[in-house]
Amino acid sequence: MIEALWNNLDYAASVVLFLIGLYAVIAKNNLVKKFMGLNIMETAVFAFIVALGVVEGGDAPIHGPDAHPPFTNPLPQALILTGIVVAVSTTALALSLIIRIHRQCGTIEADELREME
Amino acid sequence: MKRALVAALLIVAAIPLLSIVAELPPHAAPDSPAYTHVSAHYLEHGAEEAGAENIVTDVILNYRGFDTNGEVTVIFTALAAVLAILLLPSEERVEERPAPAMPVSMVVRFVVRLLAPFIALFAVYVIMNGHVTPGGGFQGGTILGALVIALTIVLGEDEAHRLLPRPARPWLQAAAPLTFVVIGIAGIAVVGSYLGFPAEEPWQWVRTAWLVILEIGIGVGGGAIIGTLFWTMEAER
Repeated sequence: MIEALWNNLDYAASVVLFLIGLYAVIAKNNLVKKFMGLNIMETAVFAFIVALGVVEGGDAPIHGPDAHPPFTNPLPQALILTGIVVAVSTTALALSLIIRIHRQCGTIEADELREME
Repeated sequence: MKRALVAALLIVAAIPLLSIVAELPPHAAPDSPAYTHVSAHYLEHGAEEAGAENIVTDVILNYRGFDTNGEVTVIFTALAAVLAILLLPSEERVEERPAPAMPVSMVVRFVVRLLAPFIALFAVYVIMNGHVTPGGGFQGGTILGALVIALTIVLGEDEAHRLLPRPARPWLQAAAPLTFVVIGIAGIAVVGSYLGFPAEEPWQWVRTAWLVILEIGIGVGGGAIIGTLFWTMEAER
């Protein structure tokens, strides 16, 4: 298993990044930090899917006079472009909700918010 | 106690993830399943079929144009939701905190003003060349948005708001979905399907022109949306 992981080091790295994000979501108390953790998890997924498209010695998937195969897989890149835009949208929405919470309750610490109920 | 629980949970999450990752086909192998089916077709025929030398642009704007149409709608909806959440008057403000007065340094002000036209030029280049070089509407739009943010910080809000004139602002923010609708309806008129791209011999330039128009729409819309998001949140201090 260790050898297989060493061969798939890119994937293993994105798993580690995912776990870092998960840790921030679970263990941090500040809502902004929690959401940063969620963003790190998103980034881990993006890195994983883009890494799926890498090919040994691959060039950017752009045809032209100088281009020569092999090309990297364009599909994960296009999907992740979509994913990044959606991540930006969710980040904007979450931050505005956090601003709203701060405006209403005066705090964005999860435990203080729980005590207020 | 809590730390031990978190550590245990992370380990429980790590074991299945790592074991699945170890089972995947080797990284960067040319015969991996992700590379052999539809991607191979895109790479071989994308430039002729879809009209752009950059295959990623072909995939997002032509092969999967519906997906991108939905995506620009998502970011526009997110902007609408942010405006709805933040512009509503709240019933009770807990405390008004004065904004920290921190004047922008003269060096920063000068450099940003000096670089602004070049940043704008770079954004236009990235948007307009998205079909032949790395880049495209989303990337160029982000650069435009960053320019708006930098100018807002340096010039102050009143000056920066002139960048997007108030009457034109809703149209600029909705530019990306509107462009998709226009091109989609043009596709119905010419090819007979929503977002259809003409592929026959005399129409090939139209296809590339539509790709560029979509890129411009996405770029302008993306820049306007990012700028407005920043303004809305900044007004909140």
